[in-house]
Amino acid sequence: MNADHSELTGVGADAASTPAVELRGVTKRFGAVTACDSVDLVLQRGKIHGILGENGAGKSTLMKILIGLVLPDEGSIHVDGQAHQIHDPLAASKLGIGMVHQHFSLVDALTVWENVALGEAGRLDPQAVQHRIGEIGEHYGLTIDPMARVGDLTAGLRQRVEIIKCLRRDPSIVIFDEPTSVLTPEESMTLFASFRDVVAAEGRAVVLVSHKLDEVIAATDEVTIMRQGKVVDEMITADADAPTLARAMVGRDVSLRGERAAFGLVNAAAADPADVGTSDDSTPGDPSSPAVLSIREASARSPQGITLLDGLSLDVHAGEILGIAGVEGNGQRPLGDLLSSLVTLSSGEVRVSGEIVSTKTPGAMASAGIGVIPEDRHDSGVVLDMTVAENLVLIDPARAANRGVLDRTRLVESAEQLIAEFDIQCAGPDAPMWSLSGGNQQRVVLARELSYEPKVLVGAQPTRGLDVGAIEYMTSRLRDAASDGVAVLLISSELEEVLDLADRVAVMFRGRIVGEMARDAVDVEQLSLLMGGAAV
Amino acid sequence: MDLVSGLFEAITASSTYVNAALFAGLLIFAASGEWIAERSGTINISVEAMLLAGAFTSAAGYTATDSFPVGIICGVLGGMVVAGVQAEMSHRLTADQFVVGLTLNILILGLAGFLARVVDLTTKTAPRWTIPGLSRIPLFGDALFGHPWPFFLLFLVVPLAWWLVFRTRWGLEVRASGEDPQAGDVSGIDVNKRRRQAIYFAGFTAGLGGAFLIFVQVGRFDEGVVSGRGFIAIAAVIFGGWTLRGTIAGCFVFALALALRLQLPNYYEGVPTELLQAFPFLVTIFGMALFAHRVRAPAALARPFVRGLK
Ligand SMILES: Nc1ncnc2c1ncn2[C@@H]1O[C@H](COP(=O)(O)OP(=O)(O)OP(=O)(O)O)[C@@H](O)[C@H]1O
Ligand SMILES: [Mg+2]
Repeated sequence: MNADHSELTGVGADAASTPAVELRGVTKRFGAVTACDSVDLVLQRGKIHGILGENGAGKSTLMKILIGLVLPDEGSIHVDGQAHQIHDPLAASKLGIGMVHQHFSLVDALTVWENVALGEAGRLDPQAVQHRIGEIGEHYGLTIDPMARVGDLTAGLRQRVEIIKCLRRDPSIVIFDEPTSVLTPEESMTLFASFRDVVAAEGRAVVLVSHKLDEVIAATDEVTIMRQGKVVDEMITADADAPTLARAMVGRDVSLRGERAAFGLVNAAAADPADVGTSDDSTPGDPSSPAVLSIREASARSPQGITLLDGLSLDVHAGEILGIAGVEGNGQRPLGDLLSSLVTLSSGEVRVSGEIVSTKTPGAMASAGIGVIPEDRHDSGVVLDMTVAENLVLIDPARAANRGVLDRTRLVESAEQLIAEFDIQCAGPDAPMWSLSGGNQQRVVLARELSYEPKVLVGAQPTRGLDVGAIEYMTSRLRDAASDGVAVLLISSELEEVLDLADRVAVMFRGRIVGEMARDAVDVEQLSLLMGGAAV
Repeated sequence: MDLVSGLFEAITASSTYVNAALFAGLLIFAASGEWIAERSGTINISVEAMLLAGAFTSAAGYTATDSFPVGIICGVLGGMVVAGVQAEMSHRLTADQFVVGLTLNILILGLAGFLARVVDLTTKTAPRWTIPGLSRIPLFGDALFGHPWPFFLLFLVVPLAWWLVFRTRWGLEVRASGEDPQAGDVSGIDVNKRRRQAIYFAGFTAGLGGAFLIFVQVGRFDEGVVSGRGFIAIAAVIFGGWTLRGTIAGCFVFALALALRLQLPNYYEGVPTELLQAFPFLVTIFGMALFAHRVRAPAALARPFVRGLK
């Protein structure tokens, strides 16, 4: 990419013996939780190293130790053979370590280029930064408008900015913490295809934390598997296959259909509808019955005048799962936001059980009985500064309140019950939300929305960032909800997930529904064409 | 004369605009620094104390040396000493920013009152610079172009504030600290250091504001010279929706209200003094009520930042 790399290549060539990074006996405790338990990890230059593990296994914590956001209680860190204490991200960046974060490190109010420039040193040169963003975008297939305000971008585009921001500093050691959980499959394929070449050529060391086995198999050279804070296995990727990795990760055989879909072990295109068992035994809604959720000709624009929804219509009946497929950025987020009362329609209407619900009143959708598991749990799902118990009643404080006064005993009781029921790993109801791992925060949202007994349940990318066990759990919860008579709307950019769960599939393109078919009648090729915008 | 024609007379008197310009000058000095502090995430209520400290130290500096530049530098130092206490207490020792600010305001008021009694201060306004020709423009000429020379420091301070915030890396980091300190921290910037520096800048401009009070507006120190103008500067930042342009517009609106209050009794005496006294503050409250809900504050305004809390 630029002149620096020729030097890096020089280092990479003879440094095969000295690892880029060597962690020895790294331990980190948070109160009673041991997030990392004497972990050893060796990263070589020119290699991509995968890290696998369930939610809460300690992957993010380990990465945060490398980047200086968390200080280890014990253990040593060697970078290029030299012992170092990494106290803060600045020290890490001086050592050439850069990280793409799982939880966004972007400032919404700033533009793309301002975010990319943030945290660098030297004179601020907007033109140079903007130019560089263009170059990196081309090199890695991550094009983006440098003048856009980050707050206006979709999760996928924000993730691009995050990646560009990291690469812009030209780190020799790059850490990706679930970078692809919000990228489309094509995006992540391009990214890692170009990455494999440059990593070897430029002598970088790369860590990839992921839940997706196919991605790890396709993209990495070595894998480390963590369970409950410990390293349980290490292997050369070429010697491993998906079932082996899955077994090592969970500690038992993985056979369930849902789990296999979660791992990406089932190729959607090859899947025979008859094999997609579970959705068949659920009771699909009766299409002749009146729809519980009905959206008619819904149109909306952003304050900037961008069309978000463009005459979208759909019906969801009691007891059915309607899956919305489509390439990310075609209005899925506004649709989720509409049903969370975050978007006001310019025309069209939303009805729940036949009653019109105002799109202007905050909270009207929730009062009408719509529960939403939002796309970006950090934006709208949870309040990180509040406790787990408080987050669990966020939507409906009435449950724990007496004439507006929160009843602590009731709050804690119902929280404890939900924590047990949904198997949320945390120190207790009073643990602050930020202390939970990504996947456990998602469980809190799920628990809250389901316990509220909604008429309509909207899952917006509900399994994003979840581990196998949690995905299995989430999908079975969505199925249970449908068989209990809830109308379920599943918005997902993962086609496999839609095909696995939905009774009916609708395709979204440029803010409207462009096609619809029953699950049994799905023709994957036709579906892909629709998703790409072809008129059928 | 009735109220309406009295108001009309007041509005068309050129001395109203001279006074308004003086009030606006003071408010703009205070508000441009306050604006940066707020953009970094601090509601810096000790701006009131910074103004008063700056006014006292500039008066003391002038008394000792008979030099206006030395007086002004002393004023800046006075403002920055108060800023130092505010910044270090709230963004290094994590004391509550409002508690620190409130304490400082009370403390400096008492201290200044005491010192003004024991020290004999002799000050006067600085020589006037009139820009020939321009200062003869009807109605606004004197207001814009005929003032004691420290007035014109404004034309350095405001562009400086703008340039710092929007054209330097420092300013980018200040804005990030006020919007999303966690993200800033993850990006490798020292959030609390930026916030402290922004408060020091507020101390710098409020110190200038204090010197302005002595050498441009009033000519002599007493403990009541500031009397709430610091709070009006804070209101101007809110009124202006945390933009520099809006903040300055707010300063002008509130300054005009302050000047009308002074001028009106010359033409119409029927308004009770108490009501007159309250008038600028009523304008301030209405102004804020009209505009406050239309604008977006920095997302992390008044939220302290502690490492790792996310
Ligand atoms: N700051 C903190 N305070 C207290 N506990 C914490 C903190 N950070 C992490 N933990 C706990 O440490 C454990 C490991 O968390 P970590 O975020 O490393 O998991 P992870 O492997 O990245 O999981 P996921 O796949 O869900 O992102 C979790 O049980 C979490 O609750
Ligand atoms: Mg994680």
